[in-house]
Amino acid sequence: MKVGYPYMGTVIVYKKLLETLGHDVIETPRPTRQTIALGVKNSPEFACFPYKAIMGSYIELAKMGVEMIVTSGGRGPCRAGLYEQIHRKTLASLGYDIDVVNFDLYKKNWSYAMKNFAKARGNASLFRVFKAFVLVYDMIHALDRMEAIVETRRAYEKIPGSFTKLWNRINKTFDLEVRRLRDARRFEKVFTAELLALPVDEPPEDGRIRIGIVGEIYVVMESAINLNIEEVLNGLGCEVRRDLYLSHWVNDNLLPFLHRGHERQILAKSRKYMEIKIGGHENETIGHIIDYKEKGFDGIVHLMPFSCLPELITQSILPKISKDLDIPVLSLSLDEQTAIANQRTRIEAFVDLLRGRKKTAAAKG
Amino acid sequence: MRIGLPSALVAPYYRTLWKTFFAELGHEPVESGATTKTVLDAGVRNAVPEICVPVKIFIGHYLKLVESGVDAVYVPRFVSIREWDTFCPKFLGLPDMIRHAFPEHETKILTHIVRSKSEDIATLANFLPLARKLGAKRFEAVRAIEIARRKWLEFRRLTLQGLTVERANKAVETGVVPEVPSHPIRIGVLGYVYNLYDRAVSLDIVKKIEEQGASVTTFEMIPEKQIEKHITKFYKPSFWTFTNKLLGAGYQLFEDPAIDGIIHVTAFGCGPDSMLGKLLDLDAPSYGKPFMTVRVDEHSGEGHLQTRVEAFVDMIRRKKRLTGEVA
Repeated sequence: MKVGYPYMGTVIVYKKLLETLGHDVIETPRPTRQTIALGVKNSPEFACFPYKAIMGSYIELAKMGVEMIVTSGGRGPCRAGLYEQIHRKTLASLGYDIDVVNFDLYKKNWSYAMKNFAKARGNASLFRVFKAFVLVYDMIHALDRMEAIVETRRAYEKIPGSFTKLWNRINKTFDLEVRRLRDARRFEKVFTAELLALPVDEPPEDGRIRIGIVGEIYVVMESAINLNIEEVLNGLGCEVRRDLYLSHWVNDNLLPFLHRGHERQILAKSRKYMEIKIGGHENETIGHIIDYKEKGFDGIVHLMPFSCLPELITQSILPKISKDLDIPVLSLSLDEQTAIANQRTRIEAFVDLLRGRKKTAAAKG
Repeated sequence: MRIGLPSALVAPYYRTLWKTFFAELGHEPVESGATTKTVLDAGVRNAVPEICVPVKIFIGHYLKLVESGVDAVYVPRFVSIREWDTFCPKFLGLPDMIRHAFPEHETKILTHIVRSKSEDIATLANFLPLARKLGAKRFEAVRAIEIARRKWLEFRRLTLQGLTVERANKAVETGVVPEVPSHPIRIGVLGYVYNLYDRAVSLDIVKKIEEQGASVTTFEMIPEKQIEKHITKFYKPSFWTFTNKLLGAGYQLFEDPAIDGIIHVTAFGCGPDSMLGKLLDLDAPSYGKPFMTVRVDEHSGEGHLQTRVEAFVDMIRRKKRLTGEVA
């Protein structure tokens, strides 16, 4: 059976997982303007942006002959949990008979989750499933560790484009050449050394600008959707960190019994502003802003899709947080009508402001 | 103490309960009344621009009450009124949003968490913490809740007889039960109480339909059991209580032969509705019923709505005339 997946973040790991399970995987193309236009055309006007972008990806996949799409589903009272149902109905109304399989109901509807698990598992033995998960788990963590290096050092690269080029090569190598656990570990060592060896022009400690990116998972993780914001910020000479990496998501959502500590710490920080959990990544967003401030970051970029339900609450509270913590926050809301030049201007102005603040602080003290 | 009750969001549904509860505890409930242009403008100015109209209106009502000098404003945190369901994130974060947007009157906010397994929210677990905040004793709270609950059940009984939320509220207050209007054409109207019964948002669409010689069925007139029946058919219904109610009601209206057409009234920027509307829209053709979406916001024009409603009812009337059901 031909299998596809939605496009978000380091997609090679989804591909690797499905391939190891023995599926015939069709690679999802990176979303383009065309994809988004296709999605917008077939989505409700007020659906959130990730819904539309993913819809576009699915239709492209359908045209390529995919028979089953495996997706994660959403959590909490946010719209992402309903995506798969409406995507499937829309695909059916367009004449494509595609099974959309997801995994977010294991608490509520166990038999349904098991049925989906069986579909995704295909003919693979349970041992193979386990092995596939271990391999992918390791890969995700290795890739995220390396990406963190890229996001820090790319800000000071001497040869423009050298880091992005290497990062693309890393992705390609992991995609094609990693078969076993051993490969992942070996390649991580090699590439980490290579990353650290690329020539950089590091400024002294007080000349560094560190920016934390927080917000809704899809727009934070997918560079094709968020105007390549990490690269743009790096290009302006800022170090960047995100609050969401695929490895964190896996740890917090799929293996919470192993990694409760980290998430709990972050959530505890948000308690002052939000009394209860309200779904999506809203509590994490607030927790991470506080966490970044404590770690000495200079500014926060908050990304959300237009009309995102939980992040709108964050956006309402942001001015207060920014004032309380004395940290500048730039909130960008993204959708299919986002104009690149406009957002770039806002980002450049924001970075200028951070530099100005840093200089004033240095002069004072 | 004078306690302000913002007449926004779920207030039309629960105002009898709240009013009776506060009055029984010896406080004076003050309602903010109908949404006026001033209220709406104040809300629009003080909310984040992207948020939905109902929340902007709530903020407007809140500010109006604070300015009128009440001692406290009631801002409940509605979490859930059905097992597994929750409210839209905007309800869950409402007190936090207000608290951080207006730190200067944080002490005026009177809030508590509402969490129950059915829409009958008048339980001790929900209201005792609130009564304690107001300095009431346990037995006083128990008594007040019981009386409030009875009033609210009376209101629900009237809506199930076919009265709209607005009329049922009035009937409970005045004790005069009006006649249920009956016309040869019946139109199902799907919409949240804070959209349908707020004139500034819906521009009184229910009355406009009735003026065209059609009667209206809304979700609150459909028995809970029938709504539940349709919700459980979905292996995964939505997360949001009122959206689920509309979802169940929508399919009930589709199946009910007495219903001639369905109008979905939704507010600009409503997230849950974008999903609900698409689901109903995709399924409407298979039931062979006319389905129309009316999207409203603070800029909606009265004339435009009038024309659309007239056209919709005319279309149904012509269809019925051809089959000989209407003279």
